[in-house]
Amino acid sequence: MSDDPYQALGVSSSASQDEIKKAYRKLAKSLHPDLHPDDPSKEAEFQAISAAYDLLGDAEKRRRFDAGEIDASGQEKPEYQYYRHYAEQDAGRRYDPGMGSGGFDDASDLFSELFGRRARGSGGAEFGQEFHARGPDLNYHLEVDFLDAANGAKRSVTMPDGKGIEISIPPGVRDGQTLRLRGKGGAGFGEGPAGDALIAISVRSHPLFQRDGTDIELDLPITIDEAVLGAKVDVPTIAGTVAMTVPKGVSSGRRMRLKGKGIKPPKGDPGDQYVRIKIVLPDTVGVDLEKLAEEWREKSDFNPRKGLGGVT
Amino acid sequence: MRLDERMVVAKVDRLTLRELRLWVRQGWVRPARGDVGPVFDEIDLARIRLLCDLRKDMSLSLETLPTVLSLIDRLHEARRDLRWLTEALEEQSEDVRRSVVSTMRRRRDPNGDI
Repeated sequence: MSDDPYQALGVSSSASQDEIKKAYRKLAKSLHPDLHPDDPSKEAEFQAISAAYDLLGDAEKRRRFDAGEIDASGQEKPEYQYYRHYAEQDAGRRYDPGMGSGGFDDASDLFSELFGRRARGSGGAEFGQEFHARGPDLNYHLEVDFLDAANGAKRSVTMPDGKGIEISIPPGVRDGQTLRLRGKGGAGFGEGPAGDALIAISVRSHPLFQRDGTDIELDLPITIDEAVLGAKVDVPTIAGTVAMTVPKGVSSGRRMRLKGKGIKPPKGDPGDQYVRIKIVLPDTVGVDLEKLAEEWREKSDFNPRKGLGGVT
Repeated sequence: MRLDERMVVAKVDRLTLRELRLWVRQGWVRPARGDVGPVFDEIDLARIRLLCDLRKDMSLSLETLPTVLSLIDRLHEARRDLRWLTEALEEQSEDVRRSVVSTMRRRRDPNGDI
């Protein structure tokens, strides 16, 4: 079964109870096993949407699912993972004692080579009598706009001591990526160097653009005459507006590529922008357009649903 | 997961905002700093629950807590080191791995049958 009951029903997570009911009924009608006795895959799909509706159709169950208290099959989730689960992962380094690893004076060279916390950048560790250790890493969290993440930007972050530091966000930084600023963390102990500042980036979404690696995707609404006759239209890209030629006779869903108009990462090839054509009719269809369509219908024998088999 | 102070307090029933702030000030919990205040993730949340267990269920005092916490942190650091060492060993040739394993067994259990 799908992990996401919203996806199973094809509704957004903000859909109202009513919308969920409607979506379920619609799907149930088309997938009901008794209407497809010869197609076992429909039965599986039907079970999946029924399970999704069992969960989401009940406002209380839905609330508990949204809150993460139960999983998609309605089972109670274990309340939480124990600390040790995270502490032994790399994430646990945040809570390392940080005071170097003392007590290795009598240990073998190999031991200190393996487990000694080397003072980074000072050309080898000194394990003498004095206490030197690298300062602790400090963690920050920075939310950046979609376009800043795509194009790169400068942002400043206030450190605990009140000093601001400027951060260069490289073009193409990903959501969840961590930037490391060497030596911008806590001060070292003794002659140890300062730790690093670790900046976890989260990228806000954009109303128009979507992102897939270094490629950008955009839905481009065009009018029916532009689709029929072709046109030159302005298209927003992450680096400003460009002119694009819509070819004659283009259909909705057609993907067109604007080469090199995606994200330009510091290393590697620039990405492309993909423009998905979407033919949009005016809010009210006028008499002229209706007349045109009627005339065309009389003469045309075009059937775009021919490939769909017996469905039409 | 990115939670602010209030969301953490809402998620962990036993925790008050006052306690959370104290623990952060003491450095027992080390959230990332965000534009509008601290940002907590999974490991911070799990650690806060551990701190609640230690403080509340086991009634550790504020004086003993740092000692216990530092032992726990050292233990986890050591276990992570061991995991990495094991991973490094796994990349070695069969001969090296076998010889390390047999030496290790001899030391841990000198009278056992190998």
